[in-house]
Amino acid sequence: MEDREREQKLHHEAKTLLEQGQVDYIIGYETGSLKFTTTPLITKDEDDTDRLVVNPFIVNNLSVYLPEVRGKAGIVAKRCDSRSIVSLIQDNKIAREDIVIMGIPCPGLIDLKKVELLLGKDRDELDNITREGDKVMITVDGRERDFPTTEVLFDNCLGCEFPAPQEYDVLLGEPSLSITDKVASRARIKELEAVSQGKRWNFWREEFSRCIRCYACRNVCPACFCQRCFVEETEPLWLMPMPRWQDNLMFQLARNIHVAGRCTDCGECERVCPMNIPLRSLTRKMYELVDELFQYQAGMDKSAPPLLTAYEPTEAEDFIR
Amino acid sequence: MKQEEGWEPKLLGFLCRWCSYAGADLAGISRKKYPANIKIIKVPCSGRVDPLFIIKALRLGFDGVLVSGCYPGDCHYQTGNYRAQRRIAITKKFLEYIGVEPQRIQASWVSASEGGKFTEVVSEVTKELKEVGPNQSFTDGR
Repeated sequence: MEDREREQKLHHEAKTLLEQGQVDYIIGYETGSLKFTTTPLITKDEDDTDRLVVNPFIVNNLSVYLPEVRGKAGIVAKRCDSRSIVSLIQDNKIAREDIVIMGIPCPGLIDLKKVELLLGKDRDELDNITREGDKVMITVDGRERDFPTTEVLFDNCLGCEFPAPQEYDVLLGEPSLSITDKVASRARIKELEAVSQGKRWNFWREEFSRCIRCYACRNVCPACFCQRCFVEETEPLWLMPMPRWQDNLMFQLARNIHVAGRCTDCGECERVCPMNIPLRSLTRKMYELVDELFQYQAGMDKSAPPLLTAYEPTEAEDFIR
Repeated sequence: MKQEEGWEPKLLGFLCRWCSYAGADLAGISRKKYPANIKIIKVPCSGRVDPLFIIKALRLGFDGVLVSGCYPGDCHYQTGNYRAQRRIAITKKFLEYIGVEPQRIQASWVSASEGGKFTEVVSEVTKELKEVGPNQSFTDGR
């Protein structure tokens, strides 16, 4: 199904939900103010539903708004978002009956940073980007060029095998086959794993010396739902207020461990980072560790207990004296 | 890694109030000898130990952290030590990936009657930390 058709179906669905009073809010995407971008749209107004869009740039993980919205909400969700929603249900942050999920079979999103790198041009200089299966057509200076989809998709999308959302009430279109490149998806982690411990530490030290501790990664993360985060605690003062690399790194390490078993590898933290810190090399690794140690994947089963509240008496005990 | 003459590792122990702390107490009462490298914080349960505590301890310059609780099945709160087990397993593996030596994060089950085991654990951990050397992760010099 074309994006256009999906969009029309979405407009219809969203409008009906609001009209029939099944939901109080619709959470979706609308066209953003910058070229190619989209921005979240949260509305109570039926007429606004015509502004909803579906395209390869619907990057936000909208499930982050769910615990904040009062009343029932209809939400547009890709696979990664739907898994975050399931994870929030597991943690009792939201109730399944309070949300209507309009699932999008997502074949992967286009990373504009990768497009810019590939063409050596700013996104404002590009005329059009369209996608058809395993090809992406980019029009620059009136000339259309083809690229393999794998070259412009987000790294986390390259590792995502199943396009259909994990949980949905309405599915907008049929899931098509995913185009994946698992090697590319975790290439940076593999590089890090290959070097010595000291080098790995120095790598992260360098990366986090850029961090300005804006907490964008935390605020955008659906798994980071604490009312009061440890970084704002003053007694005890866990982190020094000045963004030195030691505290920046400490913040990110603790954050990653806190969201273990909730992180669905949606890649939002890395995308929003204004300092381009490769945060997904941390979150993805944690995702893999959790899978390896406890055979647990976040947001797959809404009736399962959350990872860090459950246990198996005999697991992962070899390190204990 | 340069190591000063006479350097002694600093070990921070989070001991559960019901088993390990009592075990450490027993070691003292029985006049057993164990390295003075360990500084002890009493916690209500090993499940109280947030991985953040471990990271903060390393940030503050401790060379190692020991979390010690009741044996599986003996937890005063039924499941606290099992939960601790999951958290510490994740923390240890994750910090290893970041570049922290895995020996710096240690865990043990010590019951209230095991003063002997407590001294053994502290001696072994201290020995391992001596081999690993000072924790310079969070200093500027590394």
